Amino acid sequence: MRERKYRFFPLRPQHTPGGRRRRSNKLRSIQLIITVSFTAVTVLVAVIVSFMLYNKFARTAEENANINMQQIIEQVNYNLELYVTGMSRIFATAEGQITGSASIDSPLLSERMDTLMSSREDLVSVSVFTPEGDYVVGTPGLVLQQNTQLENQSWFTSASKSAEIAYSAPHVQNLFKGNYPWVVSISKMISYQEQGQTHQGILLLDFNFRTIDELSRQVKLGKRGYAYILDSLGNIVYHPQQQLIYAGLKYENVEPVLEYAYRSYIDTSTGDKRLITVRTLAETGWKIVGVAYYDEIVTTKRDLNQFLFWFLGVVISLVIAVSVLLSWLIASPIRRLERTVKQVGEGDLHTPIQVSGAYEVEQLSLRFNMMLQRIRQLMDQIIYEQETKRKGELEVLQSQINPHFLYNTLNSVIRLAERGKTDDVITMIQSLSKFFRISLSRGKNFITVQEELDHIRHYLVIQSFRFRGKFRFEIKAQEEVLQYQTIKLILQPIVENALYHGIEMSPDEGFISIAASLQSGSIVITVADNGLGMSPETLGSLLKGGVRTGGGSGVGVRNVNERIGLFYGREYGLSFASELEEGTTVTIVFPAVPAEIPAESGEEDTSS
Amino acid sequence: MRNGRFRLKPLPCVGLCVLLVLLVLGATSCGGVREGYINTDRARNIHMIVKMNQGDYWNTVRLGAEAAAQEFNVNLTFKAPDAESEIDRQITMVEDSIAQKADVIILAASSYMGLAQVVDQAAYSRIPVISVDAEVGSARVSTYVGSNGYEAGQKSAQRLIELLDGHGEIGILNFTKSSAGSSLSGGAIDYGARDAEEREEGFLNYAARYPNVEVVQISYTSSSVADAERLTREMLAAHPQLRGIATLNETASQGAGKVIQSLSAHSVKMVAFDSSPTMMEMLQDGTVQATVIQNPFSNGYLAVKYALELTEGLDVPERVDTGTKLIDLGNMLWPENQKLLFPFVR
Repeated sequence: MRERKYRFFPLRPQHTPGGRRRRSNKLRSIQLIITVSFTAVTVLVAVIVSFMLYNKFARTAEENANINMQQIIEQVNYNLELYVTGMSRIFATAEGQITGSASIDSPLLSERMDTLMSSREDLVSVSVFTPEGDYVVGTPGLVLQQNTQLENQSWFTSASKSAEIAYSAPHVQNLFKGNYPWVVSISKMISYQEQGQTHQGILLLDFNFRTIDELSRQVKLGKRGYAYILDSLGNIVYHPQQQLIYAGLKYENVEPVLEYAYRSYIDTSTGDKRLITVRTLAETGWKIVGVAYYDEIVTTKRDLNQFLFWFLGVVISLVIAVSVLLSWLIASPIRRLERTVKQVGEGDLHTPIQVSGAYEVEQLSLRFNMMLQRIRQLMDQIIYEQETKRKGELEVLQSQINPHFLYNTLNSVIRLAERGKTDDVITMIQSLSKFFRISLSRGKNFITVQEELDHIRHYLVIQSFRFRGKFRFEIKAQEEVLQYQTIKLILQPIVENALYHGIEMSPDEGFISIAASLQSGSIVITVADNGLGMSPETLGSLLKGGVRTGGGSGVGVRNVNERIGLFYGREYGLSFASELEEGTTVTIVFPAVPAEIPAESGEEDTSS
Repeated sequence: MRNGRFRLKPLPCVGLCVLLVLLVLGATSCGGVREGYINTDRARNIHMIVKMNQGDYWNTVRLGAEAAAQEFNVNLTFKAPDAESEIDRQITMVEDSIAQKADVIILAASSYMGLAQVVDQAAYSRIPVISVDAEVGSARVSTYVGSNGYEAGQKSAQRLIELLDGHGEIGILNFTKSSAGSSLSGGAIDYGARDAEEREEGFLNYAARYPNVEVVQISYTSSSVADAERLTREMLAAHPQLRGIATLNETASQGAGKVIQSLSAHSVKMVAFDSSPTMMEMLQDGTVQATVIQNPFSNGYLAVKYALELTEGLDVPERVDTGTKLIDLGNMLWPENQKLLFPFVR
């Protein structure tokens, strides 16, 4: 296949075989380049922007959550501080009343204690004990239990040891009958009056957890976060899941909390990442511990994360879709063009190119189309011209050895010989011989005007024997015209025409006048006769090949015109002027090109 | 060449796929589903059926269960008959729960054998059953959460015999042998509660080591304090030489404690069972010398928690022993015991 094409289209670039080259071509295609680069750039930008946004937002969210939590814990801390201050103030009031009372067992003091008790819901009991642990006085209505072992309780021991006000760890108060409340005890060594004597005693105030509970319960740190309170020894004062912790079902990692008074850190001991914030109450040494679950604090972060992932996903798919579409839009007309051009390249010049798309591509296809059209036109022309030329040459070749003409002429010669007109025979044969010599002229296409005129003269001489007395002729030529070159055998068909159609049928004696002259760079040869002339219709169809010179040399007038047109251009050729009953004048115009005289004349000399 | 238009597609497509896969991977790794984490997004229906709806002990079990329910987003349905002896009522309740298609049933069986059949029925309906406090005679029970009754009985016996210096008559006040005392005890089917039996067995086996100790009477109360009081009086009347009483559940303990307190019969030593504020007072004023306590709060909490783990398809232990502890005046105020005895701060 390729071989064949190669032979037909030697100039067409040949494919170099091999898949590797093809793949690299594929990788270099416009669509891929656009798609990949567009996608890559957009995705890269989107990812970088998302990443930066994420970092920025996440950090801010985390900081905000942290600050928020710290503020909440601070608030609780502040409230608790107020509460503890309140407790110590109540303690001071009680102390003042007891110390100031004349006697510890006075009804007035009892009444005052009652008032104090009823003023606060979270106050469980007030009582005074001797340093030996004996009960002195207490909240009216409460009955002391047996076997209280109060000497071992922390509030008692710490009050005996120092004169400072002491806050106990949370514990179950077993002093009074009726119930076993969980309390925080505040105790201090005080002095009181009894029967006129000053005694030392320990004042005990028990507070339940109601207020602490209320203060701490409000703390909401996310969905699962909470706050709890530790005393200075690590006992849990308050915890939202206190029962679970007391029952040993939950643990709180308090060791790192106890080490610091003021701190925020991340704890991972329970498996969850938790943000712990610690604040310490100055008076009691209690620690408020806020626990927030990291994954909840950073919900924003996770939401953001999710959002960004979706966003990125959508953007990237969109970008890919758009870039594929875009690149397809750009590349497909080009590819179609390329395919068409390829078909053209493979030899199909009739492939129509109708590519729409971008302006440039459209223009390209338009131009290409025009170019193709021109090529087609030119090719058609070349084919036509070649054909015509071949045909013309063939016809010329035929006319060179026109057997009919030869036969007629030889017949005339025979007749002359029979009649014994030896001179005429000699003239005739001579003319015939010269006629053929010029006709053949060794296969050349071009001869000098001189030779052409000689040729037609010989022809007319021969013909004048045949049409005896029927016509006369004259050949006039300017001297300078003679050495220009001309296509050979252009006059014979015209003269033949004039003889056979103009003069032969005419009753009068005919006259053929041939004149050659040089007019502004062109050679003009006119062939005029005084024969029948032609009608305008015949005249019009003459050059279109409608009329053949029947019985003539077979080389038509049209052939002459074509040959001149082909060799010299369409502006040259024949023109006719004719009038019925008056005659016809044929004018031949072609450019004056000097002939290569020396070679030709030299050859002629040697052969004659 | 003809499908030249498509020949570029594979590469962007592969790229897209890779990107999507990366995105999905990223999203899931950020979501972070933890292994073994109990999913609380969907509320589960867990039915808890205990022996009776009164008494501090069951109240505490319930509170434990409710704490877990709140923590793990559980719709807890708590049901109990009025008395421990109402076995039929308890069976009906289990049947109701099966009909209501509970996700899990937590059962404290009043009767070891009496509820066996209905538990099998639940298992047949693909409802897992968790035993709490008292076991039930079915192999289909998923797990048992509670204390070791045998061990508790032994602890009680050990302390009582110590208090009696190793000799003397002992009376035992146990519960739910049957609804009407011991009339059915000889029957082929044992209708007693498993925990009661275990405690009694543990006590008797321990006491059997001491030849000078004689268990002279074992009485079975139904579930009221008044009944326990009556039985205690009868026992004291029947055995004037009685030196020690062991009670094996909360109501029995409260009844017996009241009688001893009112008689001021300090010669009779008593080891009680379970804790309640009144029991603590009796312990402090010396009426009762010791009490064996369980962890009702933990029982309730853990039962619900394991029930939830069952619904999640997680492995749960076959038996969870929440432990028992002997409390006396000496150690009742130890901080760790305070927390056990009085789990409720508010």
